[in-house]
Amino acid sequence: MLRYFAKKLITLVVLLFLVSITVFSVLFVLPGDPSQIILGINATPEALANLRAELGLDQSFLSQYTDWIADLLLGRSQQSIHYKMPVYELILDSLAVTGPMALIAMLFALVISLPLGIYAARHQNQTGDVTVMFGTQLGLATPEFWFGILLTLLFSVELGWFSAGGFPGWGKDFWGSIKALLLPAFALGVIRASILTRLTRSSMLEVLREDYVRTARAKGLRERTVVYVHALRNALVPILTIMGLQLGQLLAGAIIIENVFFLPGMGRLVFNAIGQRDLPVVRDIVLFMAAAVVVVNFIVDMAYASIDPRIRIK
Amino acid sequence: MKKFLLILLVLAIMAPVQAAWAATPQKGGNLIISVGDEPPGLDPTASASAAIDRVVYSNIMEGLIKVDRDGRFVPGLATKWDVSPDGKVYTFQLRKGVSFHNGEAFNAAVAKWNLERAVAQDSKNAHPEFFRVIEKIETPDDYTLKLTLKDVDALFIVHMAEGDAVMLPMKGYENMAAEPIGTGPFKFARWTRGDSVEMVRNDKYWNPKLPYLDKVTYRFIKDPSAQVAALKAGDIDIIGWLLAPELAPAIEKDKRFKVLAGASTSEVIMSTNNKAKPFDNKLVRQAIAYAIDRDAVSELVISGYGTKIGSHWPPVTPYYKDMTGLFPYDPEKAKKLLAQAGYPNGFEATIKLPVIYPYAGRAGEVIADMLGQVGIKLNIEIVEWGVWLDRVFKQKDFQLSMIGHAEAWDIGIYANPNYYFQYDSQEFRDAYAMALKAPNEAEKAKWFGRCQEIVAEDAVNGFLFLSPALSAMKVELMDWWENYPTIAMDCSQVWWKK
Repeated sequence: MLRYFAKKLITLVVLLFLVSITVFSVLFVLPGDPSQIILGINATPEALANLRAELGLDQSFLSQYTDWIADLLLGRSQQSIHYKMPVYELILDSLAVTGPMALIAMLFALVISLPLGIYAARHQNQTGDVTVMFGTQLGLATPEFWFGILLTLLFSVELGWFSAGGFPGWGKDFWGSIKALLLPAFALGVIRASILTRLTRSSMLEVLREDYVRTARAKGLRERTVVYVHALRNALVPILTIMGLQLGQLLAGAIIIENVFFLPGMGRLVFNAIGQRDLPVVRDIVLFMAAAVVVVNFIVDMAYASIDPRIRIK
Repeated sequence: MKKFLLILLVLAIMAPVQAAWAATPQKGGNLIISVGDEPPGLDPTASASAAIDRVVYSNIMEGLIKVDRDGRFVPGLATKWDVSPDGKVYTFQLRKGVSFHNGEAFNAAVAKWNLERAVAQDSKNAHPEFFRVIEKIETPDDYTLKLTLKDVDALFIVHMAEGDAVMLPMKGYENMAAEPIGTGPFKFARWTRGDSVEMVRNDKYWNPKLPYLDKVTYRFIKDPSAQVAALKAGDIDIIGWLLAPELAPAIEKDKRFKVLAGASTSEVIMSTNNKAKPFDNKLVRQAIAYAIDRDAVSELVISGYGTKIGSHWPPVTPYYKDMTGLFPYDPEKAKKLLAQAGYPNGFEATIKLPVIYPYAGRAGEVIADMLGQVGIKLNIEIVEWGVWLDRVFKQKDFQLSMIGHAEAWDIGIYANPNYYFQYDSQEFRDAYAMALKAPNEAEKAKWFGRCQEIVAEDAVNGFLFLSPALSAMKVELMDWWENYPTIAMDCSQVWWKK
């Protein structure tokens, strides 16, 4: 167990190192000078040179890279060029929006997909199953930003139940903040639910045909116990795997949905930072997201064992 | 009958009084404005970004001179200013009893310090060249500032009225980008990164009548349809900069809102590389000018809201000369000129369009179609903003592009042969030099007019339209600026009708 953990940790470090080199190099060769973007197109060469020196952009590739890594290792945060504040504060502030939004989206996805998937599996090829499958097709084909716009048109502009976007802040208005995340999380969640419903259905169908389920039924257990206790538990393994992978997609989806709902989240932060060449912000967020995906998948690996005792981590 | 006449007379006297009373601004209320771009820091002296001025300038920070709604220069922190007959000495009388939001007093010493900081060798100002013309700064008394220029500079007053010349306090000025302190009608309250900037009423503002609003919030919403959804849902009160032209007609029909379609100072031009073949040939550029139907461009790109232009000068700015009639839409003439230039069968060229500006993309497509009709085949290439700055602006690696030049009074860029469109004309440089040295208004008008003529006749760029200053707001919001003759969104006189 300890060895497994150590192995994962080494993988994480190596991966982050590779990500750091890649993201740094890409940003280094990317055309577009941050000082030009800040000063505008009528800036004089003198003003540009002054700002470049202030931002440390006149340094060599190696020295800029080692500065960054040294700062990271020592736990010092670099300053955002655009926002004039430490990047880690920006990450924490935006994570307070994107994190809960992703969780609520996952919750929506689970609440929708598990019952529907199980229902479809138990009524395979009947009208209910076909309807659910048709619905998931529709969900898969719908772009989330468009779905988000439809939601605002209905619930904000027409009905006036929700605001069209924005985020009041947790400290200021807790329930208002939850409310502000519901529509975007729903837009993200419904699309994820389509995939998960299909997966739940096929996974359940497979498990329901297994011998131990037949045994359980032969023992005279109630159908509900067979489905929800015996079958679902095993069917959850692939579902969990996909959920772990979906977290990465969720962060990518956040970029678009946060723009539609103008939420001050991580997706919009990194999107704007790329446009403004706010290099310290882009670098740190990409690294953070890579780490987040690796850690979540690690947690998923650990969860397998507790769901299915046959999978033992060696 | 007499009584009736008397009543009539009383009513006649009362009527204007009533009308005036109805239009008397009322105090109180909060305002939430949406703008597209979040500013890169909040210090207008540290960056030329228009997004900063739109939030901070005239609201939190002020300079000695302001620009009013009609584009005139009016007193700001200076109550009046005199220019010596030779045009080289400016004497500003400074306003008394002004203090910064941190309590620091504003006086001649502070003004001097600010200007010295702008011209210093290691100046952090985005435009130190605006102020380098100053030779000597003197303070005869606490409220008089005397500036002696090295040479006559017709644009000096213009620059003194821009965001680059705002007055900062001497204490805590290093942190202005994150926590701006000024003398303005509103005090900075909070900047929620990625979301909004809030400012509250400055109770100690030097004009005790202003401002009317208690609180102003700028909210950053990039997506045009999200802006409109937010306005309709009541999350914001006004789309200040900039309502997408294609969405404006629908809002105008809604009784809850009103749309103001004024003029800005942003000339949208099809920038043309004057050193790249075949655009180095004046005949080719003139042929293109004839081939563009400006009315159709304005209709298709900005739903007809903009003002047509024929040169690089906004009609809202003094000394404007109308050059729109120089190249009327005439495809036949365009073909003839192309043949004369040696391209009877036209040619192929590439236009690079910056993706962040929706108007650029649309205008590019419309113009590609128009040029196609005279035999010029345009390949459209969409580029990201950073790439545009690097490839088009810095390396001049382009034939045609499309961009709005937001600054007023920026015709001087044509005097610089190294500017990205690489226009090189001694005649223009001479005229511009004459304009800058013009000692009086008549001479200024003459030479700035001549400058406009030269760039129009040479068809340096494709002059298309002035970006409309489109704003959409709740009908109860009063006295919002219709035109934007300077880059600012001055909220000091805006009020809510209850």
